[in-house]
Amino acid sequence: MKVLIAAAVVTLALPVFLDGKQLGIYVLAGLAAMVTVGLSLLMGQAGQISLGQASFYAIGAYTAGLLSVHGTAPVLGLLAAPVVAAAFAAVVGAGVLRLRGHYLAFATLAMQLILLSVLAQSTWAGGAIGLQGIPRLSVGGFELAEDIQYAYLVWAGLAVVLVVAHNLVRSRPGRGLRALATSEVAAAASGVPVGRYRLAVFTLSAAFAGLAGGIYAFYLGYLGPGSFPVLLSIEYVVMAVVGGLGTLAGGVVGAVAIVLLVQALNELATSPGMPSYAPSVLSYAVYGLLLVVVVLWLPRGIVPALRGKERT
Amino acid sequence: MTDLPGYLVTGLGTGCGYALVGSGLVAVYRVTRVVNFAQGAFAVVGAMCAASFLTALPHGLGELAAVAVAAVVGLLVGMVALATDPRSALIVTLGLSVFAYAVEVLVWGDQPRSFAGLPGAVTIGDARVQSHYLLVIGVTLPVFAGMALFFTRTGTGKALTACASNPYAAKVIGIDVRRMGWLAFAIGGALGGLAGVLVTPVQQITFDADVTLIVNGFAAAILGGLTRPAVTLAGGLLLGVTQALVAGYGNAAHQTDVALGLMIVVMIWRAAQRQTRGPVEEPV
Amino acid sequence: MSGARGADDGTVEVRDLVVRYGPATALDQVSLTVGPAEMVALIGPNGAGKSTVVNTLSGVLKPSAGTVAVRGRLAHVPEGRQVFGDLTVEDNLRLGGRRYKLRDTGPVHAILPRLAELRHRRAGTLSGGEQQMVAVGRALMSRPDVLAVDELSLGLAPLVVADLVRHLRELNETRGLAVLLIEQNARLALDLCSRAYVLEAGRIVAEGPSEELAADDRVSAAYLGGVHD
Repeated sequence: MKVLIAAAVVTLALPVFLDGKQLGIYVLAGLAAMVTVGLSLLMGQAGQISLGQASFYAIGAYTAGLLSVHGTAPVLGLLAAPVVAAAFAAVVGAGVLRLRGHYLAFATLAMQLILLSVLAQSTWAGGAIGLQGIPRLSVGGFELAEDIQYAYLVWAGLAVVLVVAHNLVRSRPGRGLRALATSEVAAAASGVPVGRYRLAVFTLSAAFAGLAGGIYAFYLGYLGPGSFPVLLSIEYVVMAVVGGLGTLAGGVVGAVAIVLLVQALNELATSPGMPSYAPSVLSYAVYGLLLVVVVLWLPRGIVPALRGKERT
Repeated sequence: MTDLPGYLVTGLGTGCGYALVGSGLVAVYRVTRVVNFAQGAFAVVGAMCAASFLTALPHGLGELAAVAVAAVVGLLVGMVALATDPRSALIVTLGLSVFAYAVEVLVWGDQPRSFAGLPGAVTIGDARVQSHYLLVIGVTLPVFAGMALFFTRTGTGKALTACASNPYAAKVIGIDVRRMGWLAFAIGGALGGLAGVLVTPVQQITFDADVTLIVNGFAAAILGGLTRPAVTLAGGLLLGVTQALVAGYGNAAHQTDVALGLMIVVMIWRAAQRQTRGPVEEPV
Repeated sequence: MSGARGADDGTVEVRDLVVRYGPATALDQVSLTVGPAEMVALIGPNGAGKSTVVNTLSGVLKPSAGTVAVRGRLAHVPEGRQVFGDLTVEDNLRLGGRRYKLRDTGPVHAILPRLAELRHRRAGTLSGGEQQMVAVGRALMSRPDVLAVDELSLGLAPLVVADLVRHLRELNETRGLAVLLIEQNARLALDLCSRAYVLEAGRIVAEGPSEELAADDRVSAAYLGGVHD
């Protein structure tokens, strides 16, 4: 609890001390954390893997962007973002989730490929060029124009995500879910409606991603299919795995750690004397190696590993 | 309508690529229960190596060497992936395929690659079709026949099938199940590499083409529950032809979407079937 | 059988065997022997660790401590009719001899003629008794000196069990095959074997000639009890 309050206070105070570029990193890390907390729940608690989590991020972003571009109040667009993303997840998940883990992995990956291709070819979504001129988020007459305001919006969004996720983990279904990840047969035998919980977590994780996407749309003011590559979905998997699956703190720590790491690598790779391909090569190598190394040698992720050390 | 035969041939040719990638998935999944996400990367490695080797080696030899490299890459991936349980192995192979991007960009750059295949074109119906498509079909079908013979007629093939059928009993009679898993990964690597080598002359390949390849390969394999090579071949061909027809008579931009949509529908259909049958193991 | 084998081939000597699964200890300081051409039973309740003993003998599991010495060839008939369901009976048998490059199924057909009739059937389509016979035949393919049979009778009809037991006894008498028989059906095991061990919770709690064990009040109450005859 003390750690939690300290983290909340520090992250609340932090934006005041950050410059423009650092605020941008703060916002991106917070958005990534919102998505990763959901994915971490899905992977750790429901034992499922989604390789298309960025598509829910994209759906949320486009929902908020399209609605507000066409004159809907931005705040309604933001509220609609998680709802539409969740609805998509519910439709796909209802059919596919009854199968084993890898079916969902490929269904979500396929979904993202289809989504990207449809977005790129649809004039109503701005096509390959993207959706421009998304207004700033405004509530009543108050418009969020400064980066620091978006930093606090992201803080609030992540807080909402964490509270909802915390309640899910603590609920009776949540405890059933944990059993589900370890042994589906045992969970089913003890009367846990396996399919329904899995679908619920999948839908909720999509809603988290959708909300993050909505904020992203207003923050950036521009959306294109290129902002949501398959690699982004894989990045979320890396964040979730590195942080520690199934723990809320793991999702946040994983996302923040990876965003900071990638930032540092980018600085390094774009420093003078580095070849032009250095940024992509470095980030691919790091993502790939992190996944392999963590799964093989730190399978529970860094947060549970650190906690384990504290106890002993 | 006279374009139809041409579309069919190009569709079958493309479908052969998917079928080969899919059968690599099947070869690995049957023996190890691992869904190998790096299967698409094997095709990319095969294609890129062939492009490089063919600058020095004659046709045939260059392609073979590329397939051999892909098999070795498959073996290495298997050695890493089988150090953990099947569920985590999906994530490990995902990591390895992202790591492969780094190596591929470093060695071959991030631009599309291709190399010359079988030159010339043939007239089928009213359409001109690149002869290379026929070569793709002409190589793939015997490879599938050979695989069927290997798994049903040879001692090693039967030992692999035994591991797939009952890994515990395989251990009991002294079969090194882990080594058989490595072998399955090497076979998967060779099949993936062959797909890349065959398809690249008619479709350029980039380092991140593995995602499309693996999704289409998975779509082909899923029809047979990831365990049946023959159904995977049929699935791949169906997928290729569907795409060619969508591209020919509809909108080329949507050819992949239709195929992927089809895959999701098939998965949901299978899910519904399993629901009525109950949670039984899939037939092998 | 192969000429290069010694006189005391077909013996098993297990000393202070410890097997752990993570934090759990499945076997704790287990010692047992099987002499040449001897039939030995290992009885005990479910979960006592009986299967762990055989799995260690056949190399499926590694000992955490202690030694396992097998002289000659040991073949393992695992619990629960573990056949290769996708392969034919003939292929199942051949795989049994694969490690020693023994491909001729004739000798096994001679012992278990039913397997010759079933040779082209897929093992997965056979009845439980037939599958168990395939598992025994597959083990015999390696021309073993010791046969470790895990739960021969489990789930099989009494007539089928009697038939399999007859084959085992015959192999023991005519070819000097040593047998380690793991059985839940203690009566069957004690009848068939001259000597027996009782395993409970990973430890040997009693051992001796079968008649003595059968007469022992505690063993009789625990494993032969409830049968008033």
